[in-house]
Amino acid sequence: MNIIASKLQGAAMSITPSTDREPVLDIAKLRIEFRGKSETVVAIPELSFKVMPGESYGLVGESGCGKSTTAMAIMGYLGNTGVVAGGSIRFNGKELVNASARELRSIRGRQIAMVYQDPMSALNPVKTIGAQLAEVPLLHMGASKKDAMAMAEAMLADVRLPDPGDMLRRYPHQLSGGQQQRVVIAMALLAKPSLLLLDEPTTGLDVTVEAAVIDLIAELRQRYSTSLLFISHNLGLIAESCDRLGIMYSGEMVEEGLTGEVFRGPKHPYTRGLIDCIPDVTGDKRSRTLAAIPGSIPLPQERPQGCLFGPRCSSFAAGLCDRPDLALEHVADGHLVRCVRWQEIPAAEVMVAGVETGTVARSTAVSLIDVNRLYPVGYQKTVKANEAVTFDAATAEIVALVGESGCGKSTLARIVTGLDKATSGEIRMAGENLAELQASKRPRSLLQQVQMIFQNPDSTLNPSHPAAFSIRRSIKKFGIRKGKAEIEQRVRELLEMVRLSPAVADRKPSQLSGGQKQRIAIARAFAAEPSLIVADEPVSALDVSVQAAVVTLLLDIQREKHATMLFISHDLALVRHVADKVVVMYLGKIMEQGTVEEVFGEGAHPYTEALLSAIRSPHPDEAPRERVRLSGETPSPINVPAGCRFSTRCHRKLGTICDTVPPPLRQISGTHEILCHIDEAELAARPSVLAVDRKA
Amino acid sequence: MAVQDNIAAIPAEATRRAARPGWMRIFHSRTAVVGLCLVLFWVIAALLAPILPLPSPTDSDVMAMTNPYPSAAHWLGTDVLGRDVLSRLIFGARTVLSVAPLSVAVAMLVGITMGMIAGYYGGWIDVLISRFSDIILAFPVLVIYVILIANIGPSVLNIVIATTIASAPGIGRITRGLVLGLKEQEYIAAAKLRAESTLYIMIVELLPNCRSLLIVDACLRIGYTIITIGILGFLGLGLPPPNPDWGGMVKESVTVLNVWPHMSLIPSFALVSLVLGFNLLADGMREAWKP
Repeated sequence: MNIIASKLQGAAMSITPSTDREPVLDIAKLRIEFRGKSETVVAIPELSFKVMPGESYGLVGESGCGKSTTAMAIMGYLGNTGVVAGGSIRFNGKELVNASARELRSIRGRQIAMVYQDPMSALNPVKTIGAQLAEVPLLHMGASKKDAMAMAEAMLADVRLPDPGDMLRRYPHQLSGGQQQRVVIAMALLAKPSLLLLDEPTTGLDVTVEAAVIDLIAELRQRYSTSLLFISHNLGLIAESCDRLGIMYSGEMVEEGLTGEVFRGPKHPYTRGLIDCIPDVTGDKRSRTLAAIPGSIPLPQERPQGCLFGPRCSSFAAGLCDRPDLALEHVADGHLVRCVRWQEIPAAEVMVAGVETGTVARSTAVSLIDVNRLYPVGYQKTVKANEAVTFDAATAEIVALVGESGCGKSTLARIVTGLDKATSGEIRMAGENLAELQASKRPRSLLQQVQMIFQNPDSTLNPSHPAAFSIRRSIKKFGIRKGKAEIEQRVRELLEMVRLSPAVADRKPSQLSGGQKQRIAIARAFAAEPSLIVADEPVSALDVSVQAAVVTLLLDIQREKHATMLFISHDLALVRHVADKVVVMYLGKIMEQGTVEEVFGEGAHPYTEALLSAIRSPHPDEAPRERVRLSGETPSPINVPAGCRFSTRCHRKLGTICDTVPPPLRQISGTHEILCHIDEAELAARPSVLAVDRKA
Repeated sequence: MAVQDNIAAIPAEATRRAARPGWMRIFHSRTAVVGLCLVLFWVIAALLAPILPLPSPTDSDVMAMTNPYPSAAHWLGTDVLGRDVLSRLIFGARTVLSVAPLSVAVAMLVGITMGMIAGYYGGWIDVLISRFSDIILAFPVLVIYVILIANIGPSVLNIVIATTIASAPGIGRITRGLVLGLKEQEYIAAAKLRAESTLYIMIVELLPNCRSLLIVDACLRIGYTIITIGILGFLGLGLPPPNPDWGGMVKESVTVLNVWPHMSLIPSFALVSLVLGFNLLADGMREAWKP
């Protein structure tokens, strides 16, 4: 009853729309500028694309490529400074640029609806869900209040929300993030729009919830035959849910075509780079290293002449690629690419061989024994952020902690580094127990041993000081080098190690890109010459092309310095590429731990199965795999289920025993442990969810 | 080998707005420039007062007492005692422009310390400091001034003490709010992990990031303090006579407002222009430094 196994594969499931029909959305030579007081920024120089009736069109690109600006222009929400400086946006043949407010009002919400990234800000916190949903039929269809409520209730049932009647009377804050997003989708679909804009609709959601929302969108799209404009930075999502896609780079379309064609035979070097730098959950670091695209996206004011991707392209040819009039060229019918050399660039570059990590006999570097962290909240209530966490890490090993938000992985990171302290338990490292020692109580030598790389590049460096300030302080404080000249020399070495120019040292953080800031943060962590590095989602805030470069760099340095690393992430594909050992957490407890091969191989915890199965692969050719879909969402850590924590969502639940009795620890092998009621033999016999696909 | 160089991609300096105050940027704001001009006018006048060809601010010109209106000898006329209004105005600016910034500086020192400690440590220290501040903020400011000055007598030092007591809680509150947000930043955690002392974190890591808001606040507070000094002067609690004091000047001539309005109106306008200058400057800075 808990399992929703769908065999849908987005790209294959829809009929290719006939081209002789009028497009629903026709954007031609669109130019968008932001006019500030002192300068004008051209966000989009020239953009053209069409969305046909019933089609799902994906707009992909990294941050700053102009994909959201395009969506905002379609809705006519460019703000005070944004101006459509040229071109046209036609919706069902009607021009939207310079349309009167009244005309726009009749189209917006009624014929074009939008689903935003953050559902909480799309819902009015002081109105009930019912009141907000009913507004749509009341305003746009002139329905009576009673009819409107009935329609709202039916729509809530359609978006698979439990107990829609009750849901109508609730307020947004009483719903979880996934439920809120479903409400927003319901609201968008109520007016039966002919075009639905989805701007990163699942970016803020956990992977298992994201998977369910994407399935829902695909299903609703078929039922309502709505055209979709799907905006995302996630290639896997687009590959699965779109018929056609356009790849945007710095405000320009660089490649456009049918999803299958583009992914099978990407022609533009940027598209290729983008596909190559995504970690693939079926391969690990021994089989393949991530290919990274050097550099970062140019700012709108600094676009190079000719091909915008030129400065980052390995096949750049002077005199050819820097001509100012590069047009989209036809590769095949409907497949366009903006690259003059697409025929010359070799089709498949040889994948760089993976790294060999010799498994030498290792000693234990750090071991956690029964670590608990309880936070008292309110009257006689406690949040169990971590409960009985036990694992150890060997010297120079990378242990990945994975889990969805609220699973306690970040709390654990803070306890290990001393930014928080455990309520009970032991963290043994170099003969000392760190569990209850906060940073201020730790001796300097211990502080030096454990350093941290943080998640958010925008807050990791102090905006008031030069970039290298904290690196310098760290060297000085721990006495790594003495004397001004020596310290400066060391700073230069460290910057070189993270592949940054020494000139970066004196820049303010506001002048650096996210990737550069994260490199500085890595240099800072290694400046102390620690033996344990705790990396809390070090690349989750970066764009995919930059992410690959930073991860590879981090791995290179870690290997060179023989530092042990706790790598915290929610991205399983990335973890597969990074880790030696994986610890899967759910609601503060370890569900499964083992080597990468064991966790990603046969015989996994049901929760791990669900996590793995939620990963979208950017390979449209893969055989459809059976997906495990979880219903519901992570319960609140205040009211954890009495038996197995995962029992409320488990698709392999045995019965009441799961609800009432805490599960035993099943020892599958010397290194592989699973916390589950299902017995060892049955767990081990189950094939991996990943094994089904990619038979080749 | 897979990672390649990232050196080429450093955004130009001008394109991203920095979080810290850029002093030159205030010239982009017309509001700030107008405010700055008003303030600078009085600052320069006050600085040059001793060398300007002005009659003494305390000497009476008995001849002018019968006709105190503006004349060639007295450009803005004289007051009831025959003292030159322009000279008293400019020498009065010296007192206002030294006492007000000095009081605000002392208040900032006390307020920032209170706010920093309350915000950073939290817990019972925060409760203690915040409640104490609330009590002071709940008092009518003027009553505090009158009680203090009436008890310890009017002098520069006492005005400074009174202003500090009245404005430090407000400054503390602003600082506390800023620190509450800033202390959760990852760079603060990084500083703790490299064994920085708490004092160092407060002064080097936190304070510079509070800078722009605190400077704007200080500017506004100087304006308010100038008004306060004027009010105190008007109530006779300002600097002891015969020091020229704008509030005092208004008070001395308010009884003859119907006959010789210039005597009280001119110092009132001076006060308004200086306070307006500081307010515009503060508004302009806030606009220019908006993140």
